[in-house]
Formats: sequence, C-alpha cells, structure tokens
Amino acid sequence: MSGVPLLEIAGLEVRYELVAGPVLAVRDVSLTLRPGQRLGLVGESGSGKTTVALAVMGLLRPPGHVAAGSIRLDGQELVGLHPAAHAAMRLSKVAYVPQGAMNSLNPVLRIGTSIGHALAAHGIRLSRAALDAKVAGLLDRVGLPGAVAARYPHELSGGMKQRVCIAIAISLGPRLIIADEPTSALDVVTQRQVMQTLRAAQEALGSAMILIGHDMGLMAQSVDSMAVMREGHLEEEGAAGAIFSRPAHPYTAELIRSVPVVGGPSKGSKVPDPGTEAQPLLAFEAAGKSYGGGLFGRGAIPALHPLSFSLPATAARIVAVVGQSGSGKTTLGNMALGFTPASTGSVRFAGQDVTGMRGAARLGFRRAVQAVFQDPYSAFNPFYRVGRSLMVPLLQLGVAADRAEARATMEIACRHVGLDPALLDRFAHELSGGQRQRLMVARALTLRPRLLVADEPVSMVDASLRAAILDLLVELRDRHRISILYITHDLATAYAVSDSVLVLHRGRVVEAGDPAEVFVSPAHPYTRLLIDCLPWPDPEHPWGNPVEEAALQREIKDAEGDPPVLRPGAGRLALQCPGLSISR
Amino acid sequence: MFVVWLGQRLLLLLAVVFTAASLNFLLPKLAPKNPVETKLLQLTESGGALTDIKDLVRAYEEKFGLDKPLLTQYGNYLRSMARFDLGYSIAHYPARVIDLILRALPWTIGLLLTATFLAFGIGTVLGALIAWERGSRILGFLAPGVMVLAALPYYLLGLVLVYLFAFTWRLFPLQGGFSITAVPALTATFVLDVLRHSILPALSIVLASIGTWALAMRGMMITVQGEDYMAYAQANGLSAGRRFFSYGLRNALLPQVTALALQIGHLAAGAVLVERVFGYPGLGNLLFQAIEQSDYFVIYGVVFIIVLMIAGMMLLVDLLYPLLDPRVRPGGAG
Repeated sequence: MSGVPLLEIAGLEVRYELVAGPVLAVRDVSLTLRPGQRLGLVGESGSGKTTVALAVMGLLRPPGHVAAGSIRLDGQELVGLHPAAHAAMRLSKVAYVPQGAMNSLNPVLRIGTSIGHALAAHGIRLSRAALDAKVAGLLDRVGLPGAVAARYPHELSGGMKQRVCIAIAISLGPRLIIADEPTSALDVVTQRQVMQTLRAAQEALGSAMILIGHDMGLMAQSVDSMAVMREGHLEEEGAAGAIFSRPAHPYTAELIRSVPVVGGPSKGSKVPDPGTEAQPLLAFEAAGKSYGGGLFGRGAIPALHPLSFSLPATAARIVAVVGQSGSGKTTLGNMALGFTPASTGSVRFAGQDVTGMRGAARLGFRRAVQAVFQDPYSAFNPFYRVGRSLMVPLLQLGVAADRAEARATMEIACRHVGLDPALLDRFAHELSGGQRQRLMVARALTLRPRLLVADEPVSMVDASLRAAILDLLVELRDRHRISILYITHDLATAYAVSDSVLVLHRGRVVEAGDPAEVFVSPAHPYTRLLIDCLPWPDPEHPWGNPVEEAALQREIKDAEGDPPVLRPGAGRLALQCPGLSISR
Repeated sequence: MFVVWLGQRLLLLLAVVFTAASLNFLLPKLAPKNPVETKLLQLTESGGALTDIKDLVRAYEEKFGLDKPLLTQYGNYLRSMARFDLGYSIAHYPARVIDLILRALPWTIGLLLTATFLAFGIGTVLGALIAWERGSRILGFLAPGVMVLAALPYYLLGLVLVYLFAFTWRLFPLQGGFSITAVPALTATFVLDVLRHSILPALSIVLASIGTWALAMRGMMITVQGEDYMAYAQANGLSAGRRFFSYGLRNALLPQVTALALQIGHLAAGAVLVERVFGYPGLGNLLFQAIEQSDYFVIYGVVFIIVLMIAGMMLLVDLLYPLLDPRVRPGGAG
C-alpha cells in the first residue's frame, strides 16, 4: 500500500446562504484517505457527514456551497472544478451507493437499461450483445442472477435493489466508493449480505471507501478507520480498533455505549408474574391471517399461521416480536390493533373480539390500544399543527372534557417524553425526526392506553435517540403500567427492553421464551442466524461469513414446519401453535 | 392472464356503450317538442299548405316508427345501433344519418385531435421545462402567462381570435371549413384552403389548453425531481438531457396520459362550441343543429359515435398505460 493519499480534504467549510443568514453545515474538516482504505464517517442526522460526501461529488445544491478549503482526489483539485468536469468524474472516479436504494432506481426502466444509462453517460458505447454481457457480468459480481437485468425495480426486494446499486457503483472501477447508509432500510440478515458484497467488491477493485452512517455496530464490522462528526465538526479520527477500545472524545464513547448488545444490561420488568388470570389483557386465540384464495381458489398465502398467546392484565409486560421483513410480525401487530381481521380464530382484548366491537366498546378499545409506527415522517398530517393530531383523539374519545383540559394533558405528556410543549404549535415539517417520534409516543401516552403496539419505533432514528425512546418504553411499562408489543428486526434492542420474545419466521413462531434464554443461547437455527448477523460494536467480534450462513439456511429449511422451540419463560405467554402437529 | 384482463376490459367497454346509448335514447324523449310537427310547421311557414297537418304528422310518425310503444322503439333503436344503422335524418330527409356523420367526422378528427395532441405535446414539454431544476429565468416568466391561458375557455379565446385576425385584420377567413368557391378535391389549392380555414380554430384550442397541460406537468415534474432516482442519476454522472427525458419527463408523464384520455372525452362536448364559433362543418356543429331541430336520429347517431370514441380512447389508454408504466402490468411480472 503506497503512502500517497487518494483523497485529501483540507480545512473544508460548507455554507448555506439562507435569508436568515449563513449556516455553517461543515466547518474545518480535514481528512485523508489512502487507496484501499475503508473510512467510516460517523455522526447523527445534521452532523454534516452527508454534506461532506456531497461536496466531494460536487452535488451541493444552492444555496449550499464550499466556502473554504480544498478537496483533492488523485492530486486533482475538486473545489471550483467546472460542473461538467465534475459530472464526468462521478461514477468513473467517485461512485455513490445511495441510502434509499428502495427508490433510487427509475421505476419505468429495466435494471439492465439503468445500468446501460450509467455506462453510456461515461462514453461507453457497446453493441446490444456486448452490453448484455457486461451487465450480466456486473450483476454476477454482486451475487445476482443475470436475469435480473430484464426485471423492473418493483419486482426486486430491497436487498436486491441495493446490490444493483453496488453493481452500478463498481461498473467503471472507481477510485473511491461513497456509501451513504447503504443498509439502513434492510433487516439484519440482508444487511450483512449487502455489506459483505460491498466490501468484497471494493476489495476486488482496490478502491477506497467512505461508509457514512450512525450505527457503531455496523462501523465496527465494516471499516478500518473512523472519523466522528458532530454539528459539522470533526470530533475524532483514527483507526477503528483504537477508537472502539479507547475512544478519546466523550461523544464517541457515548455513541459506542448507546449501542445495545445482546448479553449486556437488560431492563426486564421487576413486577412478579400474576399467575393464571381469568381474563388476559390481549389474547390471540388460534388467530391467523392469510391473503388471496377466495372464489377462484388459487390457494391462500398465509401471512401468519394460527397461533395463541396472551399478555397478562394485572402486570405490564413488553413482548418483543422479532423476525425479518415478511416474517408476519407487522401482520401480528395490525391484528392486535384490529386493523387486520383474523382469517381464522380471534384476537381478544379484555375478553372482547377486537373486530366485533361496535359503538362505545369500539371507542374504548381504540383508546386503550395505541400505536407507534416506524416512520415518524409520514405519521403526521402536514396540513395541521402537530398539536391538533394529539388533541383530536383526546376530545373524540372523551378523555378530555374541553380544549383547555386536552391542552394541559398534552403538555404533561410532552414533558414526559422530554419535549418542550411549545413544539405543539409547530407543523410536522418544522420538527426533526426524533422530535416527531417522541410526539408519537406522547400522543399514545395522553390517552392512557393499556396496550401499545410499537412497530419498529427506532429503526429510522439516530443512536442517541434510539436509547432515549427505548428508555421511554421501559418507563411506560414500569411507571404507567402500559403493556407493549414491541415489533422489530433488531434483536439487540429487543433483548434490551423485553420481558418475553416471539421469534417469527415466514409466518410461524419458531422460538419463544425469555430474551436472556432465546437471544443468549438461541436454540432454533433461524434465531441463531439473526444473532449471528448482528453487527457488534467491537471490531474483534466475528460477523460470520456466507458459508456459515448457507449452512444455517439449510438447517432452517429442514426445520420448517416443526413446532416452535419453547424456552424457559415461554409458559408466561401461554403460547400454542394449533395446526402444526396436524400438518406435519 | 392477459386474455382474461382484456376480456374484462372489453365487457366493460360494451357496458359503457350500452348504458350511454340507452340514456341517449331516453333523454330526447323527455323534451316536449314533436320533431315531425316542428319540421312541418317550418315547411308551412316557408309557404306550404296548412291543410291536413295532423294527418301528415301521423303519416310521418308511422314512417319513422314514432307511433309505436316506447319499449318497441327502444328495441328497434338498440338493434339498429348494433348494426350501425343510424336511420334517416328527419330534418334533412332522405339523407342517412351515417352519411351526415361520415361527412362531418373527418373535420372534427382532423381539427380537434390534431389540436389536442399538439397542445398536449407543447404544454407537457413546456411545463416540464418550467419546472426543470428550478427553471431558467425566461421560462420562469412564462409561468404566469401560461396560468392566464389555462383560465380561458377556448370558445372565448376563439371569439377574440376571430375578431382580431379575421374581422379586423382579415388575415384568415371568418368561418367555415373551406371556401364556398373551392372545389373539394385532393389538390394543393384545396388543401391550402382547408389549412387556412383550420388555423384559427386550431389556434384557439391549442392556446387555451397548453396552459392546463403545462401547469399539471409542472406540478408533476417538481414532485418527480424530489425522487431519490433523480438524485441518484445525477450522482452517476448522467447528462442533463438524459435525466430530463428518461428520468424526469418519462415519470412525470404518466398522470398526464390519463388526463389526455379524459380530455379527449371532453373534446366532443367542447367541439360543439368551437365549431359553432367558427362555423366549422364538424360533428359538433352537426349535433348543435340536430338539437335545434329536434332531429332525434341525428342526435342519437352523433352521441352514439361520440360515446364510441370516448370508450375506444379509454380502452386504448388502458392498453397503452401498462406499456408506459411497468408497475401496472396485469399478471405481475412483465
């Protein structure tokens, strides 16, 4: 490895000239990158990490611009470069792997055409056959079959689309790959596959990589040096191993500490089990859901196989429901909320069928069961001040007699979740993602519910906020005696807060019990796979490899249709899976 | 899968045509006028004898089948519609309705469809350009002008154009599809004459609808530019032209195509007014005259043809749309 730096950023300052005055998005950032080096650019939203990447690619949008400093790539100065020359360098010298691979591909073009456009933009004119061969070769390098070239983006899974973006990124053999949170929307298993694909492709090219992100676990497993940014400033820089073992800056230490780890401290309930109850709070009674089938009977597709379990009424509990996307965990949550009626069996809340309720009983149920969703950005009506979103249910459900009382309740709830009540008079777009997600929790809190269904409430928020929201869930349980169905693909957070856990795979429960049992010594191969895929915030911890994964996948396939593995503590859920013993 | 889908669409088309044709039969019956009597009264006013008018009315009613019970008339009507036998015009007897329509149709299709597609094309590209990367200065100034045009109904714009270009400056003929002295034949003189006559009506339609298309497209284009794939295309160094056409315009176009199909439906109604203003010998004018004269069979015929055209356009869009947007292709994988 030569000592000549590939990328040299010196004294970079990026300013946004706004009407209210200039805003410094990045100040005095200096970084160097050698060929083959993998640098993690770490920071929370608003820290300026993406702005640095945009400056390198020449994609800052007015009123943003580089106010000072220099960016040299391969000895060439990029600041002040003619836009056309900069555009020609993108992809050919600096390739970009986007965050939202879900929507980064043109929906009306076949994958092969999209790749062809990228090549053609850099003067590569190929015959039809040569292009097809080139595309097939690129797809093969990221582990996709050549037939994908003829598909449209909507026909691919999120992981496949992200691989396509990697294929495009490596198509011209760039000197530098910038990956901006390339796996943030993916579940742990897919995340590991995509990240390993990206690393392998980058190593094969010998190019350098900048990985932008906020997940310290992912960083520890993916990069060899790190730069930590906060509020536009570089706080710490160095080798990944050194930073993880001895973080110099307290902010870095805080970021590393905030990553929940399986086997670390957990916050299970201290309240003893109530024993057998005549009427549990929530009960799934052989409840299952399947889609399709019907009149033309092409066979219904089960989203959730029938299962029975219950949550106690006299003690608040957090039950984690974990699994990959498509495992049926969100279906389970929507059934508990009464949004998705069960195809077989029934879901009962305090003894009543959740879909059969009418009138006052229904309003009572709506009040007693609240939801917090994954995406805090689309959960608020953009036309109204957020306070209105909180007030309407209070008045509608008769929790507050008048507006004044409702306002008082809302302000108390805001303080509970650590928000300034003045934010209630803002519009949703004026709030950060974290503030919105806290407001979602506050909204649920004002109604004094008995059950909260939280579907991936922390998967789209920063690390520090993630910790705060998880603490909030624990507080809801311990202080407000609210039971929580915590739906997630992130096993580490499930471990940190839950009292019991259900592991779902393809609509079936495969393992259940206490989190300390299920996550620390997983018995089912699927649970093992999920645990193996967790990125540990420790560069020395192994992250598994494709060979091990293939072996586990075979085991999982063999175990399909088996009754779930019941671990200690599973009895508390009164879990039963009717039909399993009949089908196999 | 595709065959089933196509079959469903065709059945739907048939249902639409049937319903529209039935309404078309019933509505004029509710009017208090007797067409035969009206026609005869017209004749007498122009000097005919007033004697035995009641007998004459009865004789004519019998001839046109208007004396039969309503249900029988309805049955006859449906039967002849299915055979495209649209009967005879009462006002211009013995002219066949189908002949009247076939004579008017080319004028309408030639003028209105051409003008609509022209407006659609120009408006869409203009709207996309106004929105593109916050637009250039010049195009930015165009936006308010475009908004004014969008607010004008086209017959009104037509009247203004006639007043200025035909009446005041005498650059174009006042009305008609061709000069009275011209000999209809496929000669250069005649074609030029037709073109000269069509410019003002076409201009009024194009000018008045460009604005609507441009505004709708501008909105869509702004939305599309916020999409991740636009930023990603730029990050891959794609040229501005490619990003504009294959990425921006191509995606923003999808709702425009739906609107175009609906617009063609409205055309037939709007045509009445434009053709009336310009005295253009098209379907709209024919329909207007028929309504004035309570010429039932011509009304039936024209409306029936219009319904067929709209339903046909809808089917065409249904068939075309999956080609434009792979996400709505029937049967999933394309």
